[in-house]
Amino acid sequence: MAQIEVRHLTKIFTSKDAKVDALKDINLEIEQGDIYGIIGMSGAGKSTLVRCLNYLEKPTKGEVLIDGKDLGKMSEKELLKQRKDIAMIFQHFNLLMQKNVVDNVSFPLLIQGVKKKEARKKAKELLGIVGLEEKELAYPAQLSGGQKQRVAIARALASDPRILLCDEATSALDPQTTASILELLKDINMRFGITIVIITHQMSVIRKICSHVAIMSQGEIRERGMVEEIFSHPKTKEARELILKDSDEGHSGNSGRTQDRLMEAKKIRIVFSENSSFEPVIANMVLKTGRAVNILRADTKNVGGIAKGEMILGLPDDKKLQKEIEDYIVERGLEIEEVTGDV
Amino acid sequence: MFSDEVIQMLIQGIGETLYMTLASTLFGYLFGLPMGILLTISDKEGIRPNAILYKIMDVIANIVRSVPFLILLIVLIPFTRMIVGKSYGSTATIVPLVVAAVPYIARMVESSLREVDAGVIEAARSMGASTFTIVTKVLLVEARTSLIVGVTITLGTILGYSAMAGTVGGGGLGDIAIRYGYYRYEAGIMVVTVVLLILLVQIFQTIGMKLSVHLDKRK
Repeated sequence: MAQIEVRHLTKIFTSKDAKVDALKDINLEIEQGDIYGIIGMSGAGKSTLVRCLNYLEKPTKGEVLIDGKDLGKMSEKELLKQRKDIAMIFQHFNLLMQKNVVDNVSFPLLIQGVKKKEARKKAKELLGIVGLEEKELAYPAQLSGGQKQRVAIARALASDPRILLCDEATSALDPQTTASILELLKDINMRFGITIVIITHQMSVIRKICSHVAIMSQGEIRERGMVEEIFSHPKTKEARELILKDSDEGHSGNSGRTQDRLMEAKKIRIVFSENSSFEPVIANMVLKTGRAVNILRADTKNVGGIAKGEMILGLPDDKKLQKEIEDYIVERGLEIEEVTGDV
Repeated sequence: MFSDEVIQMLIQGIGETLYMTLASTLFGYLFGLPMGILLTISDKEGIRPNAILYKIMDVIANIVRSVPFLILLIVLIPFTRMIVGKSYGSTATIVPLVVAAVPYIARMVESSLREVDAGVIEAARSMGASTFTIVTKVLLVEARTSLIVGVTITLGTILGYSAMAGTVGGGGLGDIAIRYGYYRYEAGIMVVTVVLLILLVQIFQTIGMKLSVHLDKRK
């Protein structure tokens, strides 16, 4: 049984003059210990989805089961208790601005009726875990964005949650800080076995720490699975767009104008697996066929510890030569797929 | 410049004005604070939306606030008599002052609480905080500087109202200003009472602002 199970989840927001289908029949299973990424452009419904996981947002239809227990069937009181198990961090940190760091971290414990002295003791331990023990008496306004998110993470851990929901937790941070926060989340996932659900619009976040990913667009999940799998075989247009956007973020400038140049007769995407990325396949192929190919884009990156690469080649007009080239590549154990105009 | 009697009277006037202002503000908050909280949380954007409750309090607040204080003072005379036993003097004036202050304070509190970042409230909800906990540990704490500014403004307003109550025998500095300055043309005494009123407002304002800045941890 999955730790988080979402079944036929639908959320409709109704206002006076409009009806918005924020979520349409979402199905999802997240296992204990997963780092599950949910990615999509803004307005895709991912924030609504994550708020349904702790019932901050009540679904219009469908069920959310945590360890098999249906949140929709819980009384208000049971639900408040259940939320202790499901901590959450936010894009804008949402710390109490009038309370110092240690009081902020103690806050969830005080809500649960833990004595102030005990709560503070635990809060200090948690500040040690996130590397902020010397800031315990500072106020949030005196901290940097990354430090604020660390306080928020310490606060989220205070109630010993089993699930941590991250709503665009790194979107307000610079790349270096993002990396360090993601490192911390990964560390927490390993140390405490906490399941982490990450909502983001940045593919780089998914690539760095997630084991699974669901790609959302217009209130629907378009594609989901292991991150590695989706990166090497994006099936949907949405997935390809996000992966492409990610490499643009990574190397802006080099590949910014690919669209203009992709007007070759035939384009193929070659996907490298770990063993072949060190072998000079393309060079060998060019030597063998005696015809140059146009490398339209080339990109390798580290996905969950495994080197992954992809390359888009523009092939010559000659059909026979195209076949020859493709055969050569397939022989080398690489996977190819034809790429259409909009990549 | 003034005789001992006049000075004595002025000191007593200051005492009465302070008594009326502070007591009315205190009782005003006793009712106005909960009303402001209810207005905030029962609003459709609030943490416990309740359209009927919101509408009822909204209408009450608007009605009371649209009646000029002087009229309210007179209309409430039977009510004042019922509660205090008489309709003149400082203690009696507190009754209409509180009635006028409650909706005013409720609105002040409402606007202060609305300033609290919705994200912080959402964070508290995600931790399993009850409505009561959110009000006491999040809303009132996060809005405290704004609430103190509200108290300061309220004190100034009620001080002004209490002076108005002087016209119908309410006691305090306003009473002295009317009786001596207006009825007897003793401009000197009137000027002194006005100066004293200004000073009192200044003192409240300064203390309130200092306190709110001191308690604000956002910078």
